[in-house]
Amino acid sequence: MANYKDIIVGCIDKKGGIIEAFHALQNEFNYIPHEALVEAARVFGVSEAQAYGVATFYSYLSVEKRGKYIIRMCESAPCHVAGADELLKALESQLGIKVGETTSDGKFTLELTECVGQCQATPVITVNSEPVFNVTTKILPQVLAAYK
Amino acid sequence: MIKLTINGKEIQVPRGTMVLDACQQAGADIPTLCYDPDLKLAGSCRMCVVEAKGRPNLMAACVSPAENNMVIETESHDVVESRKIILELLLARHKLECHTCERDGSCKLQDYCYRYGVTDSRYAGQGPHFGMEDPNPFIKRDYDKCIMCTRCVRACEEITGAQVINVKDRGHHAKISTVFDGKLADSNCVFCGQCLMVCPVGALTSKVSAGKGRSFQTKGVLTTCTYCGTGCTFELNVKDDNVVGVTSVRDSEFSPVNKGALCVKGRFGWDFIHSPERLTTPLIKENGEFRPASWDEALNLAAEKLKGMKDKYGTDSVAMFSSARVTNEENYLAQKFARVVLGTNNIDHCASLCHSSNVAGMGAAFGSGAMTNTINDMGEDARAIFVIGSNTTENHPIIGYKIKQNVRKNGAKLIVADPHCTDLATMADVNMQFQPGTDVALLNGMMNVIITEGLLDKEFIENRTENFAALKQILEKYTPEYVEPITGVPADDIRRAARIYAESEASAICYSMGQTPYSTGTDNVKSVCNLAMLTGNVGRPGTGVNALLGQNNVQGACDMGCLPIAYQAATDSEIRDKFEKAWGLTLSAQNGLTVTQTINAAHAGQIKGLFVLGENPIVSDPDIQHVDEYLEKLECLIVQDIFLTETAQKADIVLPGLSFAEKEGTFTSTERRVQLVRKAVSGPGEAQDDWWILCELSTRMGYPMFYANAEEIFEEMRLLTPSYAGMSYARLQGSGLHWPCPTEDHPGTPILHKDIFSRGLGLFHAIEFKEPVEL
Amino acid sequence: MAEEMRVLLEYADKINPESADEYVKVGGYVGLEKARQMEINDLIQEVKSSGLRGRGGAGFNAGMKWSFVPKNAEIKYVVCNLDEGEPGTYKDRIICEKNAQALLEGMAICGRAIGSNQGYIYCRGEYPFTVKLLKNAIQSAKELGALGDFNIEVRMGAGAYVCGEETALIESIEGHRGEPRFKPPFPGVAGLWGVPTVVNNVETFACLPSILTKGSAWFAGIGAAKYPGTKIVTLTGDAVNTTFFEVPTDYILRDVIYKLGGGVKGGKKLKAVQVGGTSGSFIPEQNLDTQIDFDSMGAIGAALGSGAVLVLDETRDIVDIVTRISKFFEHESCGKCNPCREGTFRCREIMEKINAGKASQKDIDNLLLLTRVMQKAALCGLGQAAPFPIQSTIKHFAHEYARKIV
Ligand SMILES: Cc1cc2nc3c(=O)[nH]c(=O)nc-3n(C[C@H](O)[C@H](O)[C@H](O)COP(=O)(O)O)c2cc1C
Ligand code: SF4
Ligand code: SF4
Ligand code: SF4
Ligand code: SF4
Ligand code: FES
Ligand code: FES
Repeated sequence: MANYKDIIVGCIDKKGGIIEAFHALQNEFNYIPHEALVEAARVFGVSEAQAYGVATFYSYLSVEKRGKYIIRMCESAPCHVAGADELLKALESQLGIKVGETTSDGKFTLELTECVGQCQATPVITVNSEPVFNVTTKILPQVLAAYK
Repeated sequence: MIKLTINGKEIQVPRGTMVLDACQQAGADIPTLCYDPDLKLAGSCRMCVVEAKGRPNLMAACVSPAENNMVIETESHDVVESRKIILELLLARHKLECHTCERDGSCKLQDYCYRYGVTDSRYAGQGPHFGMEDPNPFIKRDYDKCIMCTRCVRACEEITGAQVINVKDRGHHAKISTVFDGKLADSNCVFCGQCLMVCPVGALTSKVSAGKGRSFQTKGVLTTCTYCGTGCTFELNVKDDNVVGVTSVRDSEFSPVNKGALCVKGRFGWDFIHSPERLTTPLIKENGEFRPASWDEALNLAAEKLKGMKDKYGTDSVAMFSSARVTNEENYLAQKFARVVLGTNNIDHCASLCHSSNVAGMGAAFGSGAMTNTINDMGEDARAIFVIGSNTTENHPIIGYKIKQNVRKNGAKLIVADPHCTDLATMADVNMQFQPGTDVALLNGMMNVIITEGLLDKEFIENRTENFAALKQILEKYTPEYVEPITGVPADDIRRAARIYAESEASAICYSMGQTPYSTGTDNVKSVCNLAMLTGNVGRPGTGVNALLGQNNVQGACDMGCLPIAYQAATDSEIRDKFEKAWGLTLSAQNGLTVTQTINAAHAGQIKGLFVLGENPIVSDPDIQHVDEYLEKLECLIVQDIFLTETAQKADIVLPGLSFAEKEGTFTSTERRVQLVRKAVSGPGEAQDDWWILCELSTRMGYPMFYANAEEIFEEMRLLTPSYAGMSYARLQGSGLHWPCPTEDHPGTPILHKDIFSRGLGLFHAIEFKEPVEL
Repeated sequence: MAEEMRVLLEYADKINPESADEYVKVGGYVGLEKARQMEINDLIQEVKSSGLRGRGGAGFNAGMKWSFVPKNAEIKYVVCNLDEGEPGTYKDRIICEKNAQALLEGMAICGRAIGSNQGYIYCRGEYPFTVKLLKNAIQSAKELGALGDFNIEVRMGAGAYVCGEETALIESIEGHRGEPRFKPPFPGVAGLWGVPTVVNNVETFACLPSILTKGSAWFAGIGAAKYPGTKIVTLTGDAVNTTFFEVPTDYILRDVIYKLGGGVKGGKKLKAVQVGGTSGSFIPEQNLDTQIDFDSMGAIGAALGSGAVLVLDETRDIVDIVTRISKFFEHESCGKCNPCREGTFRCREIMEKINAGKASQKDIDNLLLLTRVMQKAALCGLGQAAPFPIQSTIKHFAHEYARKIV
């Protein structure tokens, strides 16, 4: 695993780039570890409270530990009319967790999201930001099985 | 000028005026929640919306610049509807419990609900749910009363510079939090309470004042803080002759230094006033035990003892310590008592030890041993600030906050030199952590760079100073490379620091205790004076040599003459003459003993009696053991104080005085600003005004003294003290006056040495680095 | 007029969007070259007279916006808004995927016009693959020297719809919470890091190369006179072809749905269309013959917005969909201003109450009152527009609400 300090330093030439640093950290850890947030604040010259305010503002950033695969289900209107509600129920039951939770094996975290801009093929979920199209309840087991 | 119409009234305002101010000018009262004149604009609460003709939406008056020909309605149907709905929305999430709320009567939410007749909310769904938190002794944070105006966040960042709180999450989940939503005490919160000062509702309140009285039940008494030399003012909240809290005064006319901002001591540290430990009656020690005594008994005994010793061992067998914590009036009277009644010049106060290097060093260089510029100079006008040997945010918090503001807001450069990595050091452009006691070497190194690189102010040196050649000569060898191994500061840092200091338009030096108590203290002070003169950084706004004095009235105690070798020297026959005429008897022409000399003399058995007024030399002296011993040796120790301090416990007679909240008088802050102290409550039990005690003693010892009040003492004092001559209580009412203020029409002198130094020409001192003896 | 008119997407799938060389082969970077030859004032005038108006929703004349930028400022920025958060919208992604170089060229043209050599593309966090694509495209353009001294950096959002609002976007690039600023000052005067900044939408920038190459008169002649050019629309919901189309702006909505979109799925009847994304108004069947341009949409109380077209068939439950939409705004409100932070929250509560059949007429009255205040008093476009779906459906589909209240 890469060192969080190196990751942060890698973003230093981006003026005001603390959000870029948070992304880079999440690419590695799937969330922003506390000590990394404190370090990022120091490197980018903002207060820790400010860095925390930023990290908690954006819904794609998390300061809580998450699973290996972050599944986000789109619930915006186009996906909603395409059956997102049902899909959510299926997701929750098949993963055995509620929204916001992580499976006990640390594999999946389930989150909701607003439109991810793939509304040509609703309903849509993303797994670690890769979109999966036309996810009906029927094909869901297949979709999930692809993630080991 | 811009012309606009507000509620049918045509007015003119300068370009750049905000609609909010224009409305105020037109007599329209606009409700505001997030707006605070001292903070950056947020424009977020939308309470201040007004209707501008021709615009589809309402505009927030606080963030909208007035434009020509605007036609504005401030209470139109849409405006009132919006304000009402906003209030209803806020109420829907609010824990509405005005009946027990500290802010009942001084709450903007309550006021505006009253104004717009909003009784309850039609949007009551999910109610308040954030809960309360924070186990700390000072601040109660109740987020179920928070209206998310973010004033606290801005105050923490912009006024204090602590930046410990921010908004967390977003939308209606958003709340004010520290990093990781932790406790304030685990963050860098300094408990200054600036957040509490700006909170418009009851979300942030003082735990120290909780339950003791709300604004409409209390009376505010403006007074001056007693904790440090900054000279902050605030209002003591009084209810039933009790101090129940402190509120900020945010009007710079009445709070010229701090504009309402305070530190934890000023804001929350007032509860000592009503401490059960306060002394309430005179005490006399019998067989090693104190017993209460009447004033008559105690005063008679004290007078008898003092007189006895004086008669038996001679006048100089008795000494007096006055205090940098008590008022100018009391200090004046204390030294008068010593010189006139005790007949000795053995008068000093503990803080003079720290200040003596300033007096000697700056006195020699400039002709006056006081801070040359003002605190606001450092907070606003200085383009570079050189802090050496001062943990400013710790010891003079408000000055520290101001320096931070100047750096953050105005981009002033900051150089910090300190053996420790202070809070300010972490944000400095150059941070020089030097070996203790090597100040002179470091300063010489900087001056060497300035001369080598031609950054000196030749004109200033030529016209306003003398003895430059000598300085120049000794500086030659102090190259940064030479100085680096002595100080431990990299040569390049010394160069950078020198350049920043020399090249900025106005550079201020700021130092305090860290610099002065060493044996080389005077040399250090002379060196910073050298540096300032070398670059012409004296006598202009934002420049100067600014010594920050620790206790609240060090400057005043010195000015009043509570020094064995006073500004107005007893050895000078002309001056002695003046005092003898005024006081009507002959005075000793001999210099007195300092605190340290007194202690040694007591050890040697030469000092038999000591009268200590409001000082605690046992804890203020570095060598506690030593002090303890000599107190035992005294034949008689009289202590006048508000608590039974370690020193008072050793006394034979203890006389209970009053705290700053219980008396009138003046303090002189580190920036030479003389400000009023006002009586808010009566003293406990039989405790008496300190000046009254001195008068009674004096009278009993055969020199009758009578004053009706502190003001009469001030009036006598100013006749004898040229730098205070033009001051009077009436003139000090608002923001006080900076001495020198020689005549009644003199505006005071915020900046010393403007066109000419007090001594005429500024004197350079060629000072070689010497290893300090303490180390 | 049943065909698309492809201007921005002319070479879609015919060239590699990342490759500057391929773009040049089909006439790319000629516009920028032309811009470089022109006097700055003429260049701005050219863009002004093309009539190009912002494609990000507000419909402001692009050349006009540029002309407000102070000439004497030393540092200025060009910022491309690729936040595309409006649900149902993916046209900016499509432009990048089909013709990324045109976006870069457009930004460089803007840079030339306002005197800036630094551009930023703010790409939503949902499109990491687009970020990659753009970085490659920039690299390719650099290698070819096509951008001259104009630099472009890509910054990523992180899941906040409000960051599409230009000042929130600027805050986000600066590394702050994405909370909108009050205006004035407008970004053109004090934007990114306090200096003059032009923020335009991807599609707006992508229009520029052809305007420069073919002339403003050519562009002004396409589509609706007051909102000329083409517009990329994205069809979602119950349309047969849920995909994107580039059409001239005088195209009518009915044709978008029935001619290009193939009508409603399963041959069902159409109940409503929401144009412009989730913050758009709902349009009933009877208004379908309206042109899609900015002003025509405005005239029927709707908005073209991003050009998203959500088609809803006769079986759809309007109240349920608006309830869902109200949750979107609750989730996306930045929380800075009272009317929106608390208002979107209460709107969602009341909509849920209505949808659950537990509300009365009184609740609907309260809801309307609340949305009126949000619209008038909120700080930014989010809070001001959040009411539209509610208001337009209560107006056009009152019976659906009536069915649910008690
Ligand atoms: C809440 C909100 C979200 C917005 N989202 C976007 C967006 O995703 N993309 C966009 O180009 N403009 C968006 N805008 C409009 C921008 O503020 C801005 O007007 C636009 O980027 C200007 O570019 P244009 O003139 O080229 O349209 C949004 C506005 C608001 C109020
Ligand atoms: S904060 Fe204000 S409105 Fe709230 S309970 Fe206290 S006094 Fe009442
Ligand atoms: S007490 Fe002072 S430091 Fe602490 S949060 Fe409040 S303003 Fe900030
Ligand atoms: S705690 Fe007070 S000052 Fe801070 S946001 Fe809440 S209401 Fe405003
Ligand atoms: S309207 Fe909403 S999104 Fe915009 S500033 Fe206000 S709270 Fe934030
Ligand atoms: S609505 Fe789900 S991807 Fe756009
Ligand atoms: S006071 Fe103007 S928006 Fe808050």
